[in-house]
Amino acid sequence: MQNKYFVSRFYKGWQIFIENPLGKTGVIILSVFMIMAIASFFVPLIDPMYDPMTGIDPDIKLSTGPGLTHWLGTDNVGRDILAQLLEGAKVAFIVGLSSAFFSIVIGTLIGMIAGYTGGIIDAILMRFADIIMVLPSLVILLILASLFGQFNIWIIVFIIAILRWPAVSRVIRSQTLSLKHRPFIEASRVAGASHVRIVLRHIMPNVLPLAFLYMTFRVTSAILVEAALSFLGFGDPSQVSWGMMLQWVWKSGHMFQAPYWLIPPGLCISLLTLAFYMLGRAMDEVLDPRLRKEGQTG
Amino acid sequence: MEKADSKSRILVEMKQVTKAYASRKKLFTRSSPQVLALNSIDLSIAKGEVFGLVGQSGSGKTTTGRLLVKLESPTAGEIFFNKTPISQLKGPGLKTYRSRVQMIFQDPYQSLNPHLSIAETVLEPLIVQKIGTPDTRTEKVVHTLDTVGLSPGEAFFNRYPHQLSGGQRQRVAIARAIVLEPQFIVADEPTSMLDATIAIQLFQLLEQIKETFGMTFLFITHNLAAARYMCDRIAVIHDGHIVEVNTADNIIRHPEHPYTKQLIKVQPGFKYTR
Amino acid sequence: MSLLSVDHLSIGYQTKNGMLKAVDNIHFDLEKGQSLGFVGESGCGKTTIGMALMGLLPENAVILDGHIRFQGDDLISLTETQWQTVRGAKIAMIFQAAMNALNPVMPVDEQIKEAIITHQPDISKTDLADRMKELFDLVDIPARRMKDYPHEYSGGMKQRAIIAMALACDPALIIADEPTTALDVIVQDQILREIKKVQEATRTGLVFISHDIAVVASVCERICVMYAGQIVETGTRKEVFKSPRHPYTRTLLNSYLSLDNLNDIRVPDMKESPDQTVDTDECRFAGSCAYARGCAGRSPDWIDISPTHKAFCCNPDVIRRGHGKS
Repeated sequence: MQNKYFVSRFYKGWQIFIENPLGKTGVIILSVFMIMAIASFFVPLIDPMYDPMTGIDPDIKLSTGPGLTHWLGTDNVGRDILAQLLEGAKVAFIVGLSSAFFSIVIGTLIGMIAGYTGGIIDAILMRFADIIMVLPSLVILLILASLFGQFNIWIIVFIIAILRWPAVSRVIRSQTLSLKHRPFIEASRVAGASHVRIVLRHIMPNVLPLAFLYMTFRVTSAILVEAALSFLGFGDPSQVSWGMMLQWVWKSGHMFQAPYWLIPPGLCISLLTLAFYMLGRAMDEVLDPRLRKEGQTG
Repeated sequence: MEKADSKSRILVEMKQVTKAYASRKKLFTRSSPQVLALNSIDLSIAKGEVFGLVGQSGSGKTTTGRLLVKLESPTAGEIFFNKTPISQLKGPGLKTYRSRVQMIFQDPYQSLNPHLSIAETVLEPLIVQKIGTPDTRTEKVVHTLDTVGLSPGEAFFNRYPHQLSGGQRQRVAIARAIVLEPQFIVADEPTSMLDATIAIQLFQLLEQIKETFGMTFLFITHNLAAARYMCDRIAVIHDGHIVEVNTADNIIRHPEHPYTKQLIKVQPGFKYTR
Repeated sequence: MSLLSVDHLSIGYQTKNGMLKAVDNIHFDLEKGQSLGFVGESGCGKTTIGMALMGLLPENAVILDGHIRFQGDDLISLTETQWQTVRGAKIAMIFQAAMNALNPVMPVDEQIKEAIITHQPDISKTDLADRMKELFDLVDIPARRMKDYPHEYSGGMKQRAIIAMALACDPALIIADEPTTALDVIVQDQILREIKKVQEATRTGLVFISHDIAVVASVCERICVMYAGQIVETGTRKEVFKSPRHPYTRTLLNSYLSLDNLNDIRVPDMKESPDQTVDTDECRFAGSCAYARGCAGRSPDWIDISPTHKAFCCNPDVIRRGHGKS
């Protein structure tokens, strides 16, 4: 039953969202990447040589420019760049969305607990968040990588999530603080509801929209961190990501020889993070009524 | 101050209750100054009575209500409910107390969770108090919605607060407060956000509820005329002190405290037209 | 020539359900030094009228029809730049949230001086000082408190300062929209006396908007009762409150709790307010009207009771039969 309110609110929010030029552009760009990510599953089926990792064109031994069989060209061992680009979109979505998801789950839980309980628990949790917030995540990742060697992609996702929840938890905490003394929460307390029930039933649905807003910004930062890590050579060697592609360009010495190889992954990273950022800004407008214009009667 | 109510009929009693809030500490000063919201007040409310608490903003009237429903605890003094002190209540004892004492809040736009349907809102007290089975609960909710004038109850079941008018929302809030059939209800300015024509209908509803269930009410308001209309007895509260307690008629006709006299004098009315 | 003359004014709000007629064919005049009160419940359009008179309608509002003439000029055709010479100078306003209208980091007298200088840039220093003293005397703020900051004032004093600011340029018309709603009754009483005293002393025209009929009764000589965007009854204060004719006015008075009318209380059977996006000539109050007899399909009309007192109803019998306050 709870979904009905969500549906009507979502629909209303969607209308404001889609009327916003930023939101519209973000959605369009995002859909293009989504199609790319889905396409990545089918391209290797056309011909095994289009497999982004193992598919080597037997006729090609050098990196070649765009052509009919390889629309964006191939890398130095004869792998199709377009196929890698599509695969990279898939990986970017996986890394971005899942690490953002984990960080908002952690951040929302900790934020709600800190805001709702207050006092010493709040102080401890928030100081802990402060400490993590000031840690430079890329440097930490590099140190860990140099200690333990190259990471599996899921470990990267997990570490980014662990390092990026504090900003979410601060916002959720302040939202929880303002909700805590709202009469509908107090009415529930007066009825005898337990703290767990109040948090899950009354506070959570009211902070979730905000958590989703922050998720879009987390996605952006996760994609960038993963790209940087891969470019520096600490990525998951079994995954083709855009950062990894850039690393290959650089390592094989094609930086200035093969723009057809260098530009597409760079452009994709910028556009995808931009799309999520625009999405977040447009959602901001949906969630913050002050940015909206609406009529009133007296 | 008290009329000779026999002690056995007293439901709620406040003895020497003080509530102090620490005002925010100023930088570089050691002592944290305290604000006395309530200064050693005594109050007793008899079973089945509608007791009015009239005061201006900042007088401590809302604090009194919040202490009685245990949203806050007194700094000093004790509150008795059915002769049992409530300050030590915890766990199951507190939960039972919560089922007997309910509150209606001032702002109907803030007192309902926008994410819960009307049914879910009114069901919640029954669920947390583990009363009845799912079927009997639903039946009870429909019946309660009918009682508060949202009939047929089924029609309001799956609606959400934003689909209701202010008056209807306040009726839902009243339904939530009476669904447990509590003995005592604190109504904190239940109509001050509503239009006069809607407010008067809610007053009538509260009166009907009182007749049907024999509940005791603490009616908190800034409006002396509303208190006189609703209440058997009225206490006037000013700056954390109860300055006068009397029957509703006597307090209007023969006010004793200068503050009460002033309140009566400035009460809006149609004196200019007569 | 009237100070203010509003002629067949209709204002709508563009909503996603269509055009919502918030003000529907409103007609009134105000002479110099008169006070006119608008009373009605939420959504009746009284605030929209106030905003239209100050040129502050929100973006999605559309003036559908009619004229607002102020000292002979049509206000509706003014551009924003032209409005700036009218607003504050010739038409001043006192809002509900007036407490927030004072700048917290500026002494009160500076803010009022600024208001004067904005509209009279070449005023001499001595004239300005005289004017300030006169204003503070008028609203009973002691001269020694003039240089205080807003946070050093009580709620009532802030509201007085706002009144002084409204009077700063000696306006011909003051619009007061719920000026005492956020105040305690004791302060409200003082402020209402203040407004009345000042209005009588300066012979300013006053449009006073409130949901509280007793408040309107205490300030205004003439009253317009509004329901769902229309004026349903208008007359002098005595006529409207001692001998209300329109069924809605009666409902409003019968629902109003005051210390002297408790025996007259009757609980009305108010239905949902009508859908104002539907354009109709029919009576909007018929659904909740205790006197409605075959009103469906008929259009209400103005029925005169006295030269100053009239009501808008389908049913002349109901209107002509005076019921006193019942």
